[in-house]
Amino acid sequence: MTLLLLLPLLAGLLCLATRSRATWEWLNLAAFFLLVPLAFKVGAEVLQHGPVTALGGFLRADALSALVLILISCVTLACSIYAIGYFRRDLADGRIVEAQLRRYYVLTPLFVSAMLLVPLADNLGVMWVAIESTTLASVLLVTFYNRKTSFEAGWKYIIIGSVGISLALFGTVFTYYAAVGVLGANTHGGMNWSVLADVATRLDPKAMRLAFILVLLGYGTKAGLVPMHTWKPDAYAEAPVPTAALLGAGFINCAVYGIARFDILAVKCLGPQFPGGLLAGFGVLSILVAAPFILAQRNFRRILAYSSIDHAGIMVAALGFGGKLGALGAALHMLFHAAAKPLMFFCAGNIQQHYGTPYFWKVRGTIRTMPWTGGLFLLATLAVIGTPPFGLFQSEFITLSSALVADRGWVAFLFLTGVVTIFAGFLVHLAKLSLGTPRTDAPARVAECPWKLTAMSLVAVATVALGAWLPGPLYQLVQQTAVIIGSAP
Amino acid sequence: MNPAISTDIAAQLIALLAVLMLVVQLLLVVQRMLLTSIRLFAVQSMFLAGIAAVVAFFHGAMHVYIVAGLTFIGKVMFLPWLLDRQVRRMRIGQEIEPLVNFPTSMLTCGGLTLLGYIVARPFTSLERLGNNTLAVAITLVLTGIFLMFNRRKAITQVLALLTVENGVMLAAVALTTYGMPLVVELGIFFDVLVAVMVLAILVYRIRESFDSMDVGKLTQLKG
Repeated sequence: MTLLLLLPLLAGLLCLATRSRATWEWLNLAAFFLLVPLAFKVGAEVLQHGPVTALGGFLRADALSALVLILISCVTLACSIYAIGYFRRDLADGRIVEAQLRRYYVLTPLFVSAMLLVPLADNLGVMWVAIESTTLASVLLVTFYNRKTSFEAGWKYIIIGSVGISLALFGTVFTYYAAVGVLGANTHGGMNWSVLADVATRLDPKAMRLAFILVLLGYGTKAGLVPMHTWKPDAYAEAPVPTAALLGAGFINCAVYGIARFDILAVKCLGPQFPGGLLAGFGVLSILVAAPFILAQRNFRRILAYSSIDHAGIMVAALGFGGKLGALGAALHMLFHAAAKPLMFFCAGNIQQHYGTPYFWKVRGTIRTMPWTGGLFLLATLAVIGTPPFGLFQSEFITLSSALVADRGWVAFLFLTGVVTIFAGFLVHLAKLSLGTPRTDAPARVAECPWKLTAMSLVAVATVALGAWLPGPLYQLVQQTAVIIGSAP
Repeated sequence: MNPAISTDIAAQLIALLAVLMLVVQLLLVVQRMLLTSIRLFAVQSMFLAGIAAVVAFFHGAMHVYIVAGLTFIGKVMFLPWLLDRQVRRMRIGQEIEPLVNFPTSMLTCGGLTLLGYIVARPFTSLERLGNNTLAVAITLVLTGIFLMFNRRKAITQVLALLTVENGVMLAAVALTTYGMPLVVELGIFFDVLVAVMVLAILVYRIRESFDSMDVGKLTQLKG
């Protein structure tokens, strides 16, 4: 487990010390390639022996952590393969100079290392430090292109994120205070998840209620829940595509993970009504607010951010509906979303690079001008909006059933309205983008880059395969995650 | 010294220092000059370091001394120096232009202080250190967030963010006697330092490309 954190850190530092682009590319690729088996190994150990620890209990992984680890490492690998092709194209087109790339190849491994620490930290305070570190490592990636608009996006990203995250720290302090009330002032484990989970039923409910509200506002900002979502479209559209994909498919799991941990404590301490109501409210509000922005969207990079707000909403709502079904829905949704989402970012990035514009109206009939990208974009969109037989249909369906089981009929209705509106909105946009007649002034067809194609086909295969067949061990992991989240009385 | 009396002295000292932090916060709200604002922040952080030192001394918690030392080096000396240098080097105009005028800001902050006391009320009986420390901490967070929205210059937003952070750290000391585990304190300290450095880089780049530090001009991204 320690290796999981050190490997990217080391790769980042080595990139800082070297000067050639080829070295940077290979260092990143090698480090992220090795992360995937390591993450799966942690998953296998958890399945065999239950929760595992390292560094004298500083790091701890249970099924929930292992699931998030696996998702982050796989998304990271796909992004790093794609990044090579993406930045070579940027260099060839003269959008960036080679020296700028060092920033990307140094900061990305640091960003990934911080993301991996989030699910591994046993101490909720360390988890907070890790989430804050992801923001700090990624903000200069968001401003990578040094345009005026990138600085605007970067400023919003770090300022809104920092305000949010200080509220989360406040919430963490309150949780610690509640634990100190039970464990005594001189406790050393009062912030450790492994200790808190056992004493959660005895925590002071007043402190826990306030703590949960603060943490939900804080980590909800990082997850992009409405109304703290305003940084998201700017950051996703201004960041280079591999970074946006890492944020949108990788980091979002970390933020939801943080919320889930505190939700478990809150449900044990306060019962499901209070935290569940808040989560369901924020989740469904996010879905409903994202819907009109998706319908009226003109920019195909920004629409991905609204889709991400929508999916963060679905995950949080599933947590809120609670029970075994809701927990299963949330875990499955994280898995399927992380599998399908990178493909959308990759395809959108290809189209933006090829056409030199992020606007829908300038791009028509990509399936003819760039057959692979156009086709896969359609596939990815169908998967992400939850068309059967793709996985996201299953997880959204389970979430909906959990709402009905929890007897939240109206919320279920609003949830369904939002999801269906978004479904329709995406279909309209994508039908024109992919299937329309190409404009006469479209740039000439060029061969697609093999690096990008490799990354895209890997993700596409994973998306299609997971829709039809969830491998046994992975499903076990998801089930155990659901037990951790949903086992509370 | 009688332990009961010494705890009592500690509680009063902490309450005094906490109230001084709040006074400095209110001065920040009505401060016109940028460099003075930076100094006020340094003074506020010094009171916070003082609280940590008092806790460490009267409760014999050694690791809280480290927290006090770090706060002093980081927030009283290093960060104000960094921001000060930035302001001078970039020749940023001295006047702060708030969005809401000073009397209204003052009234708002009065309201927020009241709100802080209301939120803190259920916890005051359980508080371990000083009276009202938690209420002050909550007020610092609330007014810090208000300051952030009320200031247009990028550097003053950074200062506001740092006062929010001071509030959270005050709450950590007030609520739990011994502060948080050392590893967390170190992590937070490191994060705050890096955050301000990253923000300083961004401020510099924004200044360069917009020829202004007014974040009200950051309005190109919509929809």
